[in-house]
Amino acid sequence: MAQFIHVGGVLVVSAVLGIFVFIFSQIIPLMRGAEVQEMTSIPVAKGDYAVLGADEWSALPFLAELSGKVHFVDTVRGTEAQVVDFGQIFTAMAYDASNQQIVVGTADGKFGTIRIRYSTSLDEEGAQKVEGDAKLDPLAAIGRPGAAITSIALGGDDNSKLIGVIQAGEGKWSVHAVRLARKRSLLGGGELKVDGEFDVTPLIPGEPQTILVTAQADGIIVTMQDGTIHYLFRAGEEFQLRQSFKPFADHQNPRIAKLDFLFGDVSLVVTGDDGENRVFSLYRKPGDDKRTFGQTKEFPNLPGPATFYNSSLRNKAFLTGSGKLASLRYSTTESVRWQKELPFTVVEALIGGKYNRLLFYDTDSKLHLFDLQDPHPEVSFKALFGKVWYEGYPAPAYEWQSTGGTDEFEPKLSLIPLIVGTFKGTLYAMIFAIPIALMAALYTSQFLHPNFKGIVKPTMEIMASLPSVVLGFLAALWLAPILETRVPSILCIVILVPGAAILFGYVWSLQKIQVRRLIKPGYEFVVFFPILFVTIWAAWSLGPVVERIFFTVPDPATGERIADFRLWWPYVTGASFEQRNSLVVGFMMGFAVIPIIFTISEDALSNVPVALVSGSLALGASRWQTATRVILPTASAGIFSALMIGLGRAVGETMIVVMATGNTPVMDWNIFSGMRTLSANIAVELPEAPHHGTLYRTLFLGAMLLFLMTFFVNTVAEVMRQHLRDRYKTI
Amino acid sequence: MSTSVADRPRPSAPRRVVPEGPKRTVGEPKVWLVSVGLSLGLLMVVGLLGLIIKNGVAVFWPRRVAQVEIKADLPFSFQNQKTVTGEIIKRQERLAVDPKTRAKALAQSQKLTEIQLYVGNKDAWNQNFVFVDDAAIAGKTYPRELMKIERMEYGHAIGMPVAINDQNGLVSEAGDPGFFAKLQALTHEASERRERIKDIEKDQIGAINAQMEKLRLEQKTGDRSAAATEEKMKKLQADYEVLAKEAGALRAQQNDYQFVYRLPTGVERTVPVGQVVSFYYPNQLSLLQRIGWFMRNLWSFVVEEPREANTEGGIFPAIFGTFVLTILMSALVVPFGVLAAIYLREYATQGFFVRSVRIAVNNLAGVPSIVFGVFGLGFFVYLTGGTVDQLFFSAKLPTPTFGTGGILWASLTLALMTVPVVIVATEEALTAVPRGMREASLACGASKWQTIQRIILPSSIPGILTGLILAMARGAGEVAPLMLVGVVKLAPSLPLDLTPPFVHLERKFMHLGFHIYDLGFQSPDSEAAKPMVFATTFLLILLVVVLNLGAIFLRERIRRKYQTAAF
Repeated sequence: MAQFIHVGGVLVVSAVLGIFVFIFSQIIPLMRGAEVQEMTSIPVAKGDYAVLGADEWSALPFLAELSGKVHFVDTVRGTEAQVVDFGQIFTAMAYDASNQQIVVGTADGKFGTIRIRYSTSLDEEGAQKVEGDAKLDPLAAIGRPGAAITSIALGGDDNSKLIGVIQAGEGKWSVHAVRLARKRSLLGGGELKVDGEFDVTPLIPGEPQTILVTAQADGIIVTMQDGTIHYLFRAGEEFQLRQSFKPFADHQNPRIAKLDFLFGDVSLVVTGDDGENRVFSLYRKPGDDKRTFGQTKEFPNLPGPATFYNSSLRNKAFLTGSGKLASLRYSTTESVRWQKELPFTVVEALIGGKYNRLLFYDTDSKLHLFDLQDPHPEVSFKALFGKVWYEGYPAPAYEWQSTGGTDEFEPKLSLIPLIVGTFKGTLYAMIFAIPIALMAALYTSQFLHPNFKGIVKPTMEIMASLPSVVLGFLAALWLAPILETRVPSILCIVILVPGAAILFGYVWSLQKIQVRRLIKPGYEFVVFFPILFVTIWAAWSLGPVVERIFFTVPDPATGERIADFRLWWPYVTGASFEQRNSLVVGFMMGFAVIPIIFTISEDALSNVPVALVSGSLALGASRWQTATRVILPTASAGIFSALMIGLGRAVGETMIVVMATGNTPVMDWNIFSGMRTLSANIAVELPEAPHHGTLYRTLFLGAMLLFLMTFFVNTVAEVMRQHLRDRYKTI
Repeated sequence: MSTSVADRPRPSAPRRVVPEGPKRTVGEPKVWLVSVGLSLGLLMVVGLLGLIIKNGVAVFWPRRVAQVEIKADLPFSFQNQKTVTGEIIKRQERLAVDPKTRAKALAQSQKLTEIQLYVGNKDAWNQNFVFVDDAAIAGKTYPRELMKIERMEYGHAIGMPVAINDQNGLVSEAGDPGFFAKLQALTHEASERRERIKDIEKDQIGAINAQMEKLRLEQKTGDRSAAATEEKMKKLQADYEVLAKEAGALRAQQNDYQFVYRLPTGVERTVPVGQVVSFYYPNQLSLLQRIGWFMRNLWSFVVEEPREANTEGGIFPAIFGTFVLTILMSALVVPFGVLAAIYLREYATQGFFVRSVRIAVNNLAGVPSIVFGVFGLGFFVYLTGGTVDQLFFSAKLPTPTFGTGGILWASLTLALMTVPVVIVATEEALTAVPRGMREASLACGASKWQTIQRIILPSSIPGILTGLILAMARGAGEVAPLMLVGVVKLAPSLPLDLTPPFVHLERKFMHLGFHIYDLGFQSPDSEAAKPMVFATTFLLILLVVVLNLGAIFLRERIRRKYQTAAF
C-alpha cells in the first residue's frame, strides 16, 4: 500500500506540475527557424528561361522560355512532362502568380498573355494527379508601333488589367501602359478589350530599366538605370508622377539590381548592386494624405547583386540571393529565416504555393526541389515583444491584430498591448480594492467586537466565491450604463465617504465620555451604516451639480456650455470615453480581489502574538497606536503576501474583462477606455484558432506568461507567509 | 487633533517631570475611517446579492398588467393608439442620448424618468418593450379581463380572450361560464400531446437514428456485409416511418382548436391551442394565487428546456450539465487530491523538496483558470482526444468523437484546476489530527497504512469534505476554461440519457455560467434576454452560496473539534 501511495502521490504531483511542461512544449516550435532539405533535382532541356512557376502543390512546375516554349516538369516522377511550343520569340516576360498568367512582349512591339491552367484529378490508386496546360492569347500591338519591348508587367484581376511596357528602338526609350477591361453583357463575361492607353514617357526622364504594375492596377513603378524609382499613380484618366526616390541614395553605387513586390503589393523589396536589401512600403507620411513609399526594413547584405527573387503567395516571405547563395527572408519580422550557400548557381527561384517547397533552376539546367518546413515565420522575439513597422503604418508600433479580412493580411502579434492591458486592469482593480480590503482587515482584526467576527468572515468568503461570470454580467449590463452618466457622482462618493467618516469620528471623539459610551468599541461600523447611506445618497445627488459647475464643454455650434462629463473628458484630456471602461472593470474586479486580500491580511493581523498587543496597551498606547505602530509592522510581510495573491487573481481574471470591456487592445492608461488582457484575449481567440497554427501557439505563449506571472507572484507571497509564520513562532 | 489643547503653554502650572498625556484617546477618528472599509465591503456583498435576488425573483412574479393612458396633447403614440398595455417592469432615469437635451433638462432640474413596459405580442408588434415618459402619462388602469398567454413561439401575448373555435366554428365564447375551464382542459390535452410528440421525435426516433449510424459505421469498417446492412436499414426505416406518421398525426391534432384573442389595439388574432403553454388573468389574481403562479413559473424554469434561442422557456439542460460536470469533477478530484495529500503529509520525507512541492501545489490554486483551459484544450482535447479517436473511433474520422470539446475533458480540466484546493484542505485536515491519536494507534501495533486508513482518514473526513465543497463551488461557477473545452450554448442532447451506453462522456454540454455569458452577450435581443439572465444568475448564485455555506459550516465544526490546531 505504501508503495502504491508513493507512486500515486508522485504521479499526481508531477502531473500537476506537468502543466507547465506541456504548455511550454507547445510554444517551442514558435522559436524555431526554417528547415530546408533537398528532395530531388530534375534535369531540364537547356533554354533561355525567364519565368519559373508552379501549381499549388509544386507537383508540376513550369519553366517559360523566351524562345516561346513552356516546359512542364513532373516532380513526382522526376521527368520533364510536356512542352508547349507557341512558335514565337519573346523579348520580355513577367509572371503574375496569383492569376497564373505570363505576360509576354515581342521585338515588334506586341504583347500577349500565356495562361497556365492546372487541373487535378485522382488516379486509380487514389493519389492526386496534376495536369497542366499553357495557352497563348492572340498578340496585340502596344505603345510605340514596332519598337521592341524590353520589360513588361501585368497587374489587375480578371475583369480589368493594366499592362505596362518599356520599349526601345530608334535610339530612344518609351514607357506605355494599356488598360484592358471586360465589358459585361447579359450573356456573361465578354472579352477583354483595350479601355485606355497611356504614354507616360514624358513623366520619367532618363533611361528606364524595369517596370512593375500594382495588383490593384492603379500604379506603375519604373526603375531607372541611375537607381531612381518613379511611382506613377492613376488619377482619373491619366497617370501622374506621385513620387521619385532613390532607395540607395546613401550608397556609392545606387543602382538597383532587383525590384519586386511582396505579397499584397503594398511593399517593394529592393536589392542593390552591392547586395543591399531593403523594403519600402506604401503609407501616409505625416502631413501628406497620399500614400507614398518609405523605407521600413533593412536586411543584411547579400554578397553581390541579387540575381533572383520570388515572393510567397501565403505570407510576407521572399526568396532572394546572389549566385550560389540563397536566402529566405521574412519582411514583417525583418528576419532571415534560412540562408545557405548552395552547391549550384541559381538562375530562377520559386517559393511553393503552400509555403512548403522551394524550387531552384540552376546554370546546369537542373530544377532542384527543396522541402521547406517553416510553420511560424511571422513570429520572432521582435514581433512578439518589440515595435514592428507593419505595412501601411506610418511608424513602428506595438499592435495585436491576429486575423484580418483578406488573404494579404499581415498578422500583428505583439503581446505588449495585451500585457499593458493586463496591468491596466490590475492597476485599477487594486487601486479600488486595496484601501477597502486593508481597512476592513485592520478594523476586523483589531477593533471589531468579537461577536461580529462569526458573521463578517463568512460574508467575505461568500464574496470570494461569487462566480466571475456573474460579476462580469452585472458590470456590463447593470453597472456600466449607470456609471456612464454618473462619473461626477462617483468622484463625490470617493471624496465624501472617507471625509464623512473622519469628520464624524472627530466630532464624536470631542464628545463627553458619557455620550461616547453609547457606542461600544467594535460597533463603529454598524453605526456607520446609516451615515454611509446618507453620504452616498448625498454624493450621488451632488454629482450632477458638480458636473454643471466643473465639467462643462462649449458647444461648437451655439457656444453654449454643455455639462457632460462624457464630453468633458475627451475635450480636456484628448483621451476617449467609453461606456465599458476600466473604472467599471476595476470596480467589479474589486469584488473578486477584496475578499482575498481581506482574508489573508486579516489572518496575518489576527495572528500577531497577543503578548505584543497586551504589552503595547499596558504601556498606555491607544488601540489605534497599538494597531498602527505594533501590529501593522509585525504583520507587514503577511499583508504584502495578501496583496501579491490579490494581484495574482486580478492578473488572471478573465470573464469580467471579457464582458465589461470593449476588448480593444490599447496601449494607454486612460481610466475611461477599455483594454484587452492576456486572459480575455485567450478566451476570445483560442476557440477559433486553428490547431497548431501560429495564433494557437502564440495564445499558448500568452497563457504561459500568465502562468509564470501568477506563479512567481504567488511563490513570493507564499515564501513570505512561511517566513512570517516562523517569525510568529519565535516571538 | 485634540493634543493641541495639551501643547498650549501654561505659565501658572508647576514644573512637571512627566509630560501630560493626551486628553483624549489618540486616533479614534482614524478608527472610524478604517471602519468604512468594512462597512463598504459588507454593503457591496449584501447589495450585490440583494440586487441579484430582487431581479431574479421578479422574473417569476406575476405582475399586474397596466393600461397606460398617454396625454392627448403629446405626439407620442403606440401602434397609432394613445394607450399602452403591458407590465410595468421598472422606472428609470431616462438616458438622454443627446447631451444637449440632457444638459437643458438638468439646468431646469427637471427629472427625466420613464417607465419600461413589457407589452408582449412580439408577433404583432415586433418589439417586447415600450418606454413611456413619466411626464406623458395621463392615467393608469388595470382592466380585469386582460389575459396573459404564454405561447411556444414569440413569447407572451397580452390581450382579451374572445373565443375558442374548431374547424366547424365556434366552440365557446369568452362570456360563457365554462370558457376558462374549457380552455384549461384543451391546453392540458395539448401539452400532453406535446410531451408525446417529444417522446416520439426525440427518444424513439433518436434511438433509431443512433442504430442507423452504428450500422453505417459497421459497414464502413467491414464488420458487416452490405446486404445484411441493407436489410436491417430497411427495417429501421419502416419503424421510423410508422413513428413519423404517428408524430405527424399528433402534430396535426395540435391545430384542431384555435384560440381567438383581441390585442389591446383591437385587432383579433388567433393561435392554435397546441401553441398555448399557459394563461392567466394577471389582474384578477389574489396574493395566494400570485404565489402559486410564482412557484409554478419557478418550477417550469427549472425543469423545462429553453425555447426561442434560449430567451424563453427553462434552463433544465444547463442545470443538468452543471450538475453532471460537477459530479464528474468531484469523482475525479477526490481520489487524486487525497492520494497526493497523504503522500505529501505522511509518506514523503519532509525537507526542502517536499516544502517546495507544497508551495508549488499551493500556488497552482492561484494560477488563472484560463490557463487550465488552455492546457485542457491542448492536452486533453487535441492530444489525448485525438489519440483516442485514432485508436478507437478511426471509422468516424475526420468527424472527431473525443477529439473535440466534451464533458469528460471539461471535468478533467476542472478537476486539475481544483485539485490544489483539495490537496491543501486535506493536508490541513491530516495535520490537525492530534499526534496522540497517531502514536496510540502505532503503539497498539497497527501498521502505518492501518493507522492512516482507520484512524487518520476517518477523523479528517470533514476537512476533506470542506475541500471538496470548495472545489465544487469553484468548479460550478467557472466559465472561462469551459469555453475552450466543450461548453455550448445549446446542446442537442444531454450527457446522460436512455440511449445506450447511457453515459455519453464525449458530448458537449450546457452550463449555467456559460448560459449567463451567452444570453447576456451573444443573444440578438439582450433586453428581452435580461430577465432570463437574472433568473439564471439567481440560480447559480444560490448554488454557489449554498455550497460555500456548507463548507464554512463544516469547517467551523472541525475547528471546534480540534481547538488545539491553529493558523
